[in-house]
Amino acid sequence: MTDDKDVLRDVWFGRIPTCFTLYQDEITEREAEPYYLLLPRVSYLTLVTDKVKKHFQKALRQEDVSEIWFEYEGTPLKWHYPIGLLFDLLASSSALPWNITVHFKSFPEKDLLHCPSKDAVEAHFMSCMKEADALKHKSQVINEMQKKDHKQLWMGLQNDRFDQFWAINRKLMEYPPEENGFRYIPFRIYQKLGLSTLYYPGTMQTKVGLELRERDLPASERYLPAYASPVLGIKTTTERPFIQKLFRPVAADGQLHTLGDLLKEVCPSAITPEDGEKKNQVMIHGIEPMLETPLQWLSEHLSYPDNFLHISIVPQPTD
Amino acid sequence: MEDEFFGEKCFQYYCAEFIKHSQQIGDGWEWKTAKDCSDGYMCKTEFQIKNGTTPSHLGTPASVHTGFPTEENLELPVDDSEVMESAAASKVIKYEYHVLYSCSYQVPVLYFRASFLDGKPLSLTDIWEGVHECYKTRLLQGPWDTITQQKCQLHHFMAEHHGASCWSESTSELC
Repeated sequence: MTDDKDVLRDVWFGRIPTCFTLYQDEITEREAEPYYLLLPRVSYLTLVTDKVKKHFQKALRQEDVSEIWFEYEGTPLKWHYPIGLLFDLLASSSALPWNITVHFKSFPEKDLLHCPSKDAVEAHFMSCMKEADALKHKSQVINEMQKKDHKQLWMGLQNDRFDQFWAINRKLMEYPPEENGFRYIPFRIYQKLGLSTLYYPGTMQTKVGLELRERDLPASERYLPAYASPVLGIKTTTERPFIQKLFRPVAADGQLHTLGDLLKEVCPSAITPEDGEKKNQVMIHGIEPMLETPLQWLSEHLSYPDNFLHISIVPQPTD
Repeated sequence: MEDEFFGEKCFQYYCAEFIKHSQQIGDGWEWKTAKDCSDGYMCKTEFQIKNGTTPSHLGTPASVHTGFPTEENLELPVDDSEVMESAAASKVIKYEYHVLYSCSYQVPVLYFRASFLDGKPLSLTDIWEGVHECYKTRLLQGPWDTITQQKCQLHHFMAEHHGASCWSESTSELC
């Protein structure tokens, strides 16, 4: 019987085989071969792609090297989203490896935050952890920690050290014995619209957007914000990029709330009606947990290192 | 649970009071409702020249009686060359401030965004350099602890919640 602690390791060590290719319009001095890497699901792009950057910079002229950014099928990839979330949301129904395009020019200011240094990633990560603990423990646990403990959480993530990370993180997973769980569950639900035939201004009608090439787009409309992407149609990016609300793990009668209870309350469209056909997948770390799973258990075992459950709702693949 | 903390209804009530006062003194704050629900937030837009002064033809926020500066005002051709000489479009900075209610922290949170008139955002270094002298020491000791970069509706920076009371007291001093 699998121990619950094995789940923590499985989550931490999850990897996505990825192929990085330089964008065709980047001007190169020499040939830039694709670069293959196993990306940690629980980490962040700008934290784990130093070798990718070095590899492609060798092919470019010095004056052409600017801030690196990544894109998948026309959608700029937000570095501040965990890698596993990006993959589940954008590419889980596509064949492996995950094909990511690398850019050094035309940074999409409207879609991406700049990442000037690893300090930016650390600040974002710690900010998420603090928010998660505000929900779970009114910030009491994280505020009682010393600065060196915060640093250990970050270094554990940065250096892929499971034991170093969990030596501190386990304290953030505790709760008073008289309660049955955390005060509120830290979660975010991200939704991707289904692909459909879309008209795109200035180009021919495309089927499911896959034939749409950036060359066909007027220059001003390349790298559109995700809300306008005809290829992936990610919903709500300009309004609310995710759903996050206060939700307790335990009901008033003491029953544990489940994943299904959460979805019914905050995202009812994700749930298949009883007689209906399954239209969506509810995905965390690349798997579909049973909707009967207690939310408290999910929060303790399937959260990302930032202590949030990042849940993707994606269309059910048709094949 | 709302009684224990600063609940959202409480936030909305005090925002209404704040905006009434802002209107009386011509300080430019207004209430905006989010598109798809009853949530709302306070917002204010302000323009400054990069050296820290407010473009003189717009007046200081407190002295504007007919309305506060808008982007449309700035883009109108102005014949007064004495004014516009020092306010070339690339040096005028637009600051947008939003005060939202955070259900995670159950307190108001200040978000702000600084950009040039062409929409290009200011770099982090520029933001940090623009911080008022009295906050600079604390900021430089831990810049990432004082202001967090977040992707919000308008791609904002967020003042750390424990410092929000300092930042929001006098937003013009941030610049």
